[in-house]
Amino acid sequence: MRRVAITEVAQISGPDSKDNFYDQAYRVTREVLDKAGLSRDEVGTIVSASTDVFHGGISCANAYYWESTGSFMKAGTRQDGESMFALHYAFMKILTGKYDTVLVVGLCKGSENPDNDAITQLIADPFYQRPVGLNETTAAAMQMHQYMEAYGATAEQCATVVEKNLGNALRNPYAHRRGCYSTEEVLASGSMCHPLTDLMCAPKSEGFIAMLLAAEDKAREITPQPVWIKGYGCALDTYFLGDRDLLAGQLPNAARRAYKMAGITDPAKEIDLVELCEPYAFQELLWCEQLGLCGRGEGGKLIASGKTRIDGDLPVNPSGGVLATNPYVSRGLQRVVEATLQIRGHAGEHQVRQQVNTAVCHGSTGFAGQCHAVAVIGR
Amino acid sequence: MSQAKEYRIFETEVWLPYRVAYGETWTRFFEGMKEQKLYGTQCRKCGRVLVPARSFCPRCFVDTSDWVEVSQTGNLQAFCYTNYRYYGQALDPPYVTALIRLDRTEVDFVHLIGGIDLTSVEAVSSRLAKGMRLHAVWEKVRQGHILDIKHFEPVE
Amino acid sequence: MARPVGIIGVGQTQHGRREEMSYPDLVREAVLRALENCNLTPDDVDAVVTGTMPSMMEGIAMTQFYFADAVQAVGKPILKTETCGSVGVSIAHTAYYWVASGMADVILAVGHEKMFEGDSQATMVTVLEPYYQRSFLSGPPTAFSLQSQMWSNRFNIPEDKIREAATHISMLHHNSAFDNPYAHVKVRLSRDDVMNAPVIAYPIRLYDVCPNSDGACAVIFASEDKINHLGRKAAWVKGIGYRGEEYFIGDSDKVVWRAAIEAAKEAYDMAGISNPRKELNVAEVYNPFTYQEMIFYECFGFCDFGESPDLVLKGVFDRGGELPVSPSGGVLCTNPIGATGLIRVGEAALQILEQAGDRQIGGVKLALAHAMGGVVQLCGIMILGAHK
Ligand SMILES: [Zn+2]
Repeated sequence: MRRVAITEVAQISGPDSKDNFYDQAYRVTREVLDKAGLSRDEVGTIVSASTDVFHGGISCANAYYWESTGSFMKAGTRQDGESMFALHYAFMKILTGKYDTVLVVGLCKGSENPDNDAITQLIADPFYQRPVGLNETTAAAMQMHQYMEAYGATAEQCATVVEKNLGNALRNPYAHRRGCYSTEEVLASGSMCHPLTDLMCAPKSEGFIAMLLAAEDKAREITPQPVWIKGYGCALDTYFLGDRDLLAGQLPNAARRAYKMAGITDPAKEIDLVELCEPYAFQELLWCEQLGLCGRGEGGKLIASGKTRIDGDLPVNPSGGVLATNPYVSRGLQRVVEATLQIRGHAGEHQVRQQVNTAVCHGSTGFAGQCHAVAVIGR
Repeated sequence: MSQAKEYRIFETEVWLPYRVAYGETWTRFFEGMKEQKLYGTQCRKCGRVLVPARSFCPRCFVDTSDWVEVSQTGNLQAFCYTNYRYYGQALDPPYVTALIRLDRTEVDFVHLIGGIDLTSVEAVSSRLAKGMRLHAVWEKVRQGHILDIKHFEPVE
Repeated sequence: MARPVGIIGVGQTQHGRREEMSYPDLVREAVLRALENCNLTPDDVDAVVTGTMPSMMEGIAMTQFYFADAVQAVGKPILKTETCGSVGVSIAHTAYYWVASGMADVILAVGHEKMFEGDSQATMVTVLEPYYQRSFLSGPPTAFSLQSQMWSNRFNIPEDKIREAATHISMLHHNSAFDNPYAHVKVRLSRDDVMNAPVIAYPIRLYDVCPNSDGACAVIFASEDKINHLGRKAAWVKGIGYRGEEYFIGDSDKVVWRAAIEAAKEAYDMAGISNPRKELNVAEVYNPFTYQEMIFYECFGFCDFGESPDLVLKGVFDRGGELPVSPSGGVLCTNPIGATGLIRVGEAALQILEQAGDRQIGGVKLALAHAMGGVVQLCGIMILGAHK
């Protein structure tokens, strides 16, 4: 199998840039090409990620930003719903040998969209789940309830995730929301959707994310620091929330696939850093368990131990994660960009203390994580 | 329990409000329209003048930094007579949409044709021909919207 | 590096107005038929790729969630490909890459749309950005009308001749639909019916235009190893091509239409085709508009530019002609848009597999499938062959 590397990355991210989508997509694409020293003509093809309802009211999103992402007269294509899908597709395009370089672009301009839940309610079917108010937040609140009940995880432990991640975000110039919050402040921040408090829920952000993938030979020409894609796994859960086991889910399945491909047998030991998708604070704890970083039900203990802090042995979301920055569609791909920066030692002020050889990146969409995608990347 | 012969239809509606940013380039373009001017940008690499103004050249993939005021007169490339209705339609039919190549630009500008009899396809076709000269007719009150140009009319 | 990939199963719904069935059930109908067609169970499927037109068509966001069970993707990896009208062929491309890359052996590809649940015209208009184009381009009919006009002007094709040829195409496809049990629109049309139908967007009239349909299509792609193991005949993927040009309709030439020309060329090069009219035995062209269908003939090298109306009238593209086009009745008679491109791929595969029933063309060794999307902007091609 061909080896595929992430050669360069770029991001435009934050609350609201006042720029238009068409131009922002161009700027992030231009930036990653300039970093790689490639002209548009030299790029093999483009895979983008976007979702129509998260797209300023413009349908068939990739028709709009086609030329912005450098796709004129190229075989560009697009993945909807989860930006990690674009990474996967681009990876396969290189594996076949048809392309040596593929540009991956994830695009979401939260500032133009209605509230995330005005949109996520449209994931719910119109007959049963939508009329009763189901959306991503209400689904997560029920999942949190079950999680706390089942394992005795405390609200304080969940709040610690916010305290840690928004604190980490203070050092990340691309973060949307940041701050020094105590767990008491998090718990007192307003009861948005019990047991979720306001600060436990991710904001609505802009995120234009780009990376250039290349086959091994080409990658070494472009950068002295290629970051290899070592494994990828994905799994989808059943649809109706009531049909699912919200604490088992499909993340273990997705992780197992990615680890198998990467040859990882003991994730807790072999992984140096995790960037995961936690639009709701408690999910970081649950996802850590399901990624095999601690035992079942031990997510609360894991965060309490300090191990997942930026200066801990296994930093989780040193960028501030999705709680800090939530470009709904491109949030998964943004995890890959952040992990790449960490592996290269280019994360600046939020660079973790120890060298990162292997990182896990995770994307999740749908109610209570109906779909999970996991990528293992490393030196 | 009786088995229904016809299955039910659930009538529902989805409506979402959006706030879409113009950004720097398009803000300037539409500000220009308020002043009854049409602006394009020129690509320094291929030399093409693009209108409406673009911040980058789609083909050369470089920034376009040169602003040019473009002609409000051009040649008709093609037109379309629309005379049907649909939900959310921006205009009241009938109307004629056209591709117009404004003088000294390298792309076609999409707008309406008016000032002619629109009551039938025949009436419209008899007045329009490829290559004919058209010029912009402006609204008196302008808001920085594409319809600040009321339509294009044949140059007499 | 790229492994050979073949299609072994095709399933499609009865297309049409399917108000008796919920959207997930409709999707499932196609999936079950595809699995049945190649005698596989959901457990045999490694992963699933789905796709559709924009969420606002039916008001469901990110349909991969809603259809997780209908497509039997629970526990499986999934991709969700969306490229506007060309989505069906893009889904097929995704399935191809998934198998060719070695990451899976059996892929279920599903495209779906239930257009009677929404307002397709109102949805299609939102493909246009709100700043410039949305006010004027009433969606596809306007864009295609402009395109056909530029084409006839460019090559000085008399309007009467184009009208005759469009009528020929319309009658051809509407007749073919009677031989396709899955087709939506089945009406016997006289020459007069077509010629004098109401104008939709001048010069395009009612029977020059595709319908809205409810429908889904599922196609199963497999690796060579798997195909050999199953001992099954396959329609092999010989070539794929895809190109797109600018979003702003005035930016590029839609007559000598580069996106269509170069997408076809990419696929022909990969398949080793130099004379498509001679070498292809059947083509499923994405033909929502009779006029545009002729422009595709020219861009795909079936004939010279400006020549297609003459050849149409000579019967070159009829079912008994040199290169039969859309014996299924095509998009003109069936258009569940998110499935439409994949139906082209599925129909091409059925022709190769000799499973096309009454619409079968004899001795098909090489078939072309095509879809188009965006603002007259994106073109995708897949070429299938009887031999690897
Ligand atoms: Zn240029």
